[in-house]
Amino acid sequence: MQTRTPVPLSTRLLSVLVASFLPLVASADTSADASEGKSGDTLVVAFEKPLTTVDRLYSIQREGLILSRLTDDGLFYVNPDTLEFEPLAAESYRWVNSTQLEVTVRDDVVFHDGSPMTADDVVYTFEWVLDEDSDTSRGAVIQSWLESVEKVGNRTVRFNLHLPYPMALRDMAISIPVRKKGTYDGAEGMDNAAEDRPLNGIGPYRIKEFSAGREIVVERFEDYYQASPKANPAIETMVFRVIPDQGTQQAELLSGGIDMMMGVPPDVADNISHLPGVVRREGNDIRIGYITLDAAGHSNPDSPFTKLKVRQAINHAINREEITRYLVRGSAEVVPYACHPRQFGCNSDGPTYPYNPEKAKQLLEEAGYPDGFSFKLWAYREKIIAEAVVSDLKAIGLDVDLRFVKLNVFAKVRNDKDMEAFFASYGSGGTADASASTGVHFAANSARNYTDDKELAETVLAAERTIDPDERKRLYNKALTRIAEQAYWVPMFSYSQNYLLSPGLEFEVPKDGVPRFWQASWSDK
Amino acid sequence: MLNYVMKRGLMALLVALTVSFGTFALFHFATDPAQTIAGEDAPQEMVDDIREQYGFDRPVSVQYLDWLGSTLQGDFGQSYFWKQPVVDLIQEHAKVTVLLALAGLSVTILIALPLGISAALKPNSWVDRFALSTAVSAQAIPNFWLGLMLIILFAVMFPIFPVSGDATWKHYVLPAFVLGASSVPAVMRLTRTGLLDVLSSDYIRTAKAKGFMGYRLILQQAMRNALLPIVSVLAVQLGHKLGGSVVTESVFSMNGLGRLAVESIFNSDIPTVQSLILIFVLTFVLLTLAADLINAWLDPRIRMG
Repeated sequence: MQTRTPVPLSTRLLSVLVASFLPLVASADTSADASEGKSGDTLVVAFEKPLTTVDRLYSIQREGLILSRLTDDGLFYVNPDTLEFEPLAAESYRWVNSTQLEVTVRDDVVFHDGSPMTADDVVYTFEWVLDEDSDTSRGAVIQSWLESVEKVGNRTVRFNLHLPYPMALRDMAISIPVRKKGTYDGAEGMDNAAEDRPLNGIGPYRIKEFSAGREIVVERFEDYYQASPKANPAIETMVFRVIPDQGTQQAELLSGGIDMMMGVPPDVADNISHLPGVVRREGNDIRIGYITLDAAGHSNPDSPFTKLKVRQAINHAINREEITRYLVRGSAEVVPYACHPRQFGCNSDGPTYPYNPEKAKQLLEEAGYPDGFSFKLWAYREKIIAEAVVSDLKAIGLDVDLRFVKLNVFAKVRNDKDMEAFFASYGSGGTADASASTGVHFAANSARNYTDDKELAETVLAAERTIDPDERKRLYNKALTRIAEQAYWVPMFSYSQNYLLSPGLEFEVPKDGVPRFWQASWSDK
Repeated sequence: MLNYVMKRGLMALLVALTVSFGTFALFHFATDPAQTIAGEDAPQEMVDDIREQYGFDRPVSVQYLDWLGSTLQGDFGQSYFWKQPVVDLIQEHAKVTVLLALAGLSVTILIALPLGISAALKPNSWVDRFALSTAVSAQAIPNFWLGLMLIILFAVMFPIFPVSGDATWKHYVLPAFVLGASSVPAVMRLTRTGLLDVLSSDYIRTAKAKGFMGYRLILQQAMRNALLPIVSVLAVQLGHKLGGSVVTESVFSMNGLGRLAVESIFNSDIPTVQSLILIFVLTFVLLTLAADLINAWLDPRIRMG
């Protein structure tokens, strides 16, 4: 089977055009132009979506997370190799008990304005996030587990939690950069967060220019603390240009306007990477694709999906191996359970459902649907994969109507619990912990929970509120086994990422889908 | 004339209000703005917090009246996505779109009028056939395809112009050509047909008898009447360019109103979308009105009723 991943028409067209113009492009020696100046100290990266603010506390965007890892440090960070949470601006930490965390901050960290970071700054930052009027982007999440924060020593801060919450380090690493005391004084929330105001972070780069929707320029911060694993980045200046159209990004890459494209569809990567002046890198992503089945009968109490055998039949009917190999491609793998195999706790003793259309038909017959039934499958991304799923389901006699819509429409119908089945994906915010996936999809209060399985929800909640790693693993195993046994989901595949780079750019593909640009460098070759 | 202008203005307002309510209702019934603002992977707590923070949990009618009340007082609200006053956003993006639209219109005029006039002066000649073929080709080529071709030719293979952005005048050349080319067929054909009609009329025959020849005959006598429908079409085309340069702005990554509209729709940025729709509708109506007034000035018979 030879198939192609869906890409916008303009992107596909440009790829074909560029490929067909290859000899001319080569003769025009654009490769020389493209690599011109690349030995310099600047990296230009294309962002597909605009960034509305450079302040991570007020950004929910993926681009904000990427930029924040350059301009900000949190108390902790995600180790790029192990994906574990380790101290960064913190020197050390200890759990006093299951609801008290003490963190000692480093004494050699300075803000971009030259002032030293202190425990008072850390207390100020978290108190600001806890303040409901501050309207920070992750405030609601932090407020759900953090009760208060206090200074207990010159360099020591104590976090008092409402409840045991093992993902506290994750939230501190990903969502809460340290801010200087008084940063937001006088501000009632950050209604004008996109205003051009200097960001006083403690990261290895500082903001030089910010033009919302156009570009962001950062420059290396020379007084960055040497003890950091992010210290001494090779590239002096980085420019992030907002270019929404991927076809235009390709043209910019070929003409030397940018040095890197992210999130390139496999087809486009195939075509463009053969051109001179372009290097392809691919690797894993922590994002997974899955199908949710309305086991609770929210969309229709008489839905066939309320029957276990029907859900099992759907699991057996979809050829996930072939879809993964030929449509998702790259480093993608079939995922057996409702999480990414790289996530902590993503292990189960539950059943898996190998592709077996005959067994699927038999299960449908046993469930009382020998002639199949009709239903709508909703999707908002990777249309071709959704179509492959529909094709597999039609092969076992189901009449499937594919409803392919934009995300904002999809989210409305899904959150109203009006879908019988939907194909979606989840990136876990780059978090290598099963809680990120199970918490969002199987917790009692989640609009994405189509199971109404109280026992499962309680298990997931218990795992989220346990500090002990072994106990967490046991609870996640129990939850994931329950999900697999009940066939609530059809876990599909992990995604693969493609990057296109200018020659000479050294860049390691991240394991969790979040690029670390401080690791990039230009080779002398 | 004053009555006429007021009547048209009132109609514009009614159209704008109807469209804005329709858009508002559609957004609320067909999408979940809170989820969209929170992002694809946002946890439930965040979505719930945004729903409460932005007042999406209130009845739609209350939200609409709230928006309408503010708008009528000149307050277009705060963008949910950009976290800026919508007025500031629109002002910033309008500069790019107005420049691009005017440049595009200039391209249309500079290509379509000479072609149309030449074709009308020598009907069925090779000039005429060339003009008509150009029009057919321009009509058949989609905007985004032409844009990509120009990018490959003049930005990648022969890097004369930048690929994307809107920082300098050079950034406007390719997109203006793309935007302008799309209107060439309509304007060229209208020019040719209008001029052919006028050239066969009695008053031109009289003018010729009085010694008007060459460009003086065309520009001073014939074009004045032939221009009437062209002015109307150009006004509508300018409206299209101001409100509908979405594809061109996206292909060339220009930060204009078209791209702002697309991003706002995908991000469920309701205040921005509402305001843009209001502006687009009013722009169309005002441009049509302006065209009518210019026609009335060009042709005294219109003024006489």
